[in-house]
Amino acid sequence: MGGLRRYILRRLVTLVFVVLCLLTIMFALFKLLPGDPTAIFVDNNFSLEMIDRTRHAWGLDAPWYVQYGRYMLNMLSFDFGTSFFQVAPVKGIVAEKLANTCAMMLPALFLSVILGTVIGAVAGWKRGSAFESGTIITFLFLRSAPSFFVGIMMLMVFSYQLHWLPSGGMVSPGSAGAFWDMVLSLDFLKHLILPTLVVFSREVTGPALLLRSSMLEVKGSDFLDVLRAKGLPPAAIIVHATRNALLPLVTYVAVTTGFIFQGQVVLEIIFAWPGVGRELVTALNDLDYPVAQAAFYLMALTILFLNFIADVLYGLVDPRITYH
Amino acid sequence: MAAQALSVRAVRATIRRRTSLLRLTLASLRVIGKDPLGAVGLVLVVMFVAMALAAPLIAPFGPFDVVYHADKSVVRLSVPTLTNWLGTTNQGMDVYSQLLWGSRVALTVGILSAIGSVVIGTLVGLFSGYYGGWLDEVLMRITDVAFGIPFLPFALIVISITTPSLTVVILLVIFFLWRTTARVIRSQVLSLRERPFVWAARAAGTHEVKILFYHIAPNVLPLSFLYMAIGVSAGVFLEAALSFLGFGDPHVVSWGSMLNGAFNAGAMRNAWWWVLPPGLCLSLLVTSSFMITRAYEEMINPRLRDI
Amino acid sequence: MAVLEVSDLRVYFRTAKGPSKAVDGVSFAIHEGDYLGLVGESGCGKSTIAKAILGILPPNGEIAGGSIRFGGRLLNTLSDRELNEIRWKEISLVPQSAMHSFDPVYRIEQQLIEAYAAHRRASSRTMQARAAELFQMVGLDPARLKDYPHQFSGGMRQRAMIAMALVLDPVLIIADEPTTGLDVIVQDQILVRLKEIHERLRKTMLLITHDLAVVSENCNRIAVMYAGKLMEYGDRVVFRQPQHPYTLGLVNAFPSIGEEMRELISIPGAPPDLIAPPPGCRFHERCPFATEQCSAEEPVLREVGPGHVSACHHLDRIEEFRVAARDAATWAGA
Repeated sequence: MGGLRRYILRRLVTLVFVVLCLLTIMFALFKLLPGDPTAIFVDNNFSLEMIDRTRHAWGLDAPWYVQYGRYMLNMLSFDFGTSFFQVAPVKGIVAEKLANTCAMMLPALFLSVILGTVIGAVAGWKRGSAFESGTIITFLFLRSAPSFFVGIMMLMVFSYQLHWLPSGGMVSPGSAGAFWDMVLSLDFLKHLILPTLVVFSREVTGPALLLRSSMLEVKGSDFLDVLRAKGLPPAAIIVHATRNALLPLVTYVAVTTGFIFQGQVVLEIIFAWPGVGRELVTALNDLDYPVAQAAFYLMALTILFLNFIADVLYGLVDPRITYH
Repeated sequence: MAAQALSVRAVRATIRRRTSLLRLTLASLRVIGKDPLGAVGLVLVVMFVAMALAAPLIAPFGPFDVVYHADKSVVRLSVPTLTNWLGTTNQGMDVYSQLLWGSRVALTVGILSAIGSVVIGTLVGLFSGYYGGWLDEVLMRITDVAFGIPFLPFALIVISITTPSLTVVILLVIFFLWRTTARVIRSQVLSLRERPFVWAARAAGTHEVKILFYHIAPNVLPLSFLYMAIGVSAGVFLEAALSFLGFGDPHVVSWGSMLNGAFNAGAMRNAWWWVLPPGLCLSLLVTSSFMITRAYEEMINPRLRDI
Repeated sequence: MAVLEVSDLRVYFRTAKGPSKAVDGVSFAIHEGDYLGLVGESGCGKSTIAKAILGILPPNGEIAGGSIRFGGRLLNTLSDRELNEIRWKEISLVPQSAMHSFDPVYRIEQQLIEAYAAHRRASSRTMQARAAELFQMVGLDPARLKDYPHQFSGGMRQRAMIAMALVLDPVLIIADEPTTGLDVIVQDQILVRLKEIHERLRKTMLLITHDLAVVSENCNRIAVMYAGKLMEYGDRVVFRQPQHPYTLGLVNAFPSIGEEMRELISIPGAPPDLIAPPPGCRFHERCPFATEQCSAEEPVLREVGPGHVSACHHLDRIEEFRVAARDAATWAGA
């Protein structure tokens, strides 16, 4: 177990290091902003004294290293300040959008992983069957279609032509309410179908193709011969095989979740979904930098955290990883 | 004795394997062409390249030209006609022409960012894997940080801070793509470093840099090629995504920006001719490079081929 | 009494170029208490025989003819479920690649117990005790039963494999190239363990190997295979007084078998393609003594001594061959 603990600790140190680097990069980026952040909401007829006062209020008159220290502390304690535009604490705004993004992404992800795994395992076990080749071809095509085009097409067909499903938003206009009330409503479900379909059509392919090839690899391994020679029933052998084949999937799912998370931006725009990605785009268009920063930071953190979980899980399920 | 003879043979084999880039390219194309899907992909890519090269000759209008009726009124949202083969946009621009011009942007971004990212990634992987030690440590921590940055959000922020241009987009895509190549090449180099032909070269007093570039690099080139092919489709896709979000270069027309225009104008409701062409071209280009990648991967990865 | 009787066994593999006749009409018997060594160059079909006996041929392989009789049952006619009653409980296996024969994600103990539990009901304490007892027997620390396979060296894994093979006290143990991939000293240790099991536990064993020295040191019966066929079969006299040119060649190619120091001579050429094997004797293309008859007519196994058979058309000239075979020039001319 010592090996595992050391392994997790090392991943944790890397995680902290990467977060600190990321924040530093962000600090540098926002320092590079044309002019300074005050410029966008300082009116031309402000007096110099007023500008100074504003700069002071924002801490922009302090030396850069003080600003840097303050910035890091604020970010690490999730204190993102106040939105330029919405005049509300950024933390609240972004947290709500983050929840909305998860509400859109998680159902599709669950569906993709579970169905993808089953389809991939069957395809791998039934090597050479029509099912296997059909799955591969279909999935390769699904995989390479850009999701925003698929999204637009779905909107064109199901929403604008057939009028079966709403064209965007999380719920129908006017019926927004508390998060859980909203998420548990039938109306929400109707809004969820199209985005879920788009995410699913792409994300189901990953676990399926991965599990197929890892199943094939496991099928060729010597230990399966020994298991057969041991006189184990077929079901027990399949359990052994699947357990080995699932190893790469664990990491894959965590990493992909992070990846979908950032790709969400486009889908949230298409389906007018009030998520964190859409918030980032809106904030950037409005030059609302505190919100943009917070949205970016939270997205990055989520991805990093998921990658960390992936590493830890891999260490747990594959005893070989922590050995070296 | 036997071991020595073996390594000498291994060195000779490596020397034989070492081929010029051109020959490697031709050999790869031949192999890809043998795979049915790979062949389809190649044909499609060649068509897109031809389309991009011939765009100035065959495009009836410039990318931002507005088409007018005889009475000087703008031809807005026209269905496909003999003059406007794929109809016009809400601002009266010819969709067919924009589509042709857009292929240039897609391929430029795809190819330049693929080359850039593979060169950087391969160099980082080679040095990191071969020299190890503090160099490896530093390069791999940088790679870790690069992996921690979510591309699309990061690109949006950078573009909104700088002025949007094709150069910025390409640099961003390179920044996003090099990291995977670096890690893959590094792990390949780690295993190549322990092969007999490397010991043999070292025992023969070959300079380290020469070992790296003459003996090891040729062996990772096929892998770099694979990541270059992947890079092209990733580059095309990312540029399209950025343009679709309105963060592309406003001075050029790309398929992504066409979709952005169509989306913002609500063209999905009525103007299918404006939405479908760029979307289909994008899908086809990404799909075809995906098919090529797949065929190529099966060739260089015997694990995939044998099972 | 014969524990295992293989008669006229044929195992074919489906390939893109037609069936590959990996085992083509092989017959032999293992009697109780025998330690049979099955030798031959790699690819001659010896491991395929082991897989056929246990019914674990790969999906493209099938028993195309002949029979495998074990304790009154015809193994080749049994269903997979019926075979499961015999596998490991009565015939166990020490497989080829020590490194990859355990499932990497389960602890060694779980894998030993799993073999036990698949055939016999027992409390987990009984099974753990059995595993510990066997670990001690093969010279491993029972505390390491809780380890994962990757924590063991190759030699340790193979000893654990031997322990696992003994877990149900089987009638027959098949060791299929058990020393592949191990270094020489460890190879020796493994072979000593196997011999111990043969002598102390009176197990009937089948050792499959390409190493003549190993067979001549350990086994009391020897079968020599070439390109899917049995060439010679008998007791230890097979290597002392070979009755087949192929065996003569093999003995020449190995040190330490002959009584005096001599030059090592290897057999030139390579074994034939098993998809389209040559007509006549399969060895004739590489045999320095081959005649027209050898390339036309397939030799049958003929008795050359008590319990000793050889498949050569020219058994009458074998003494002459034996002298000529010691001369390197004989083989170089083939």
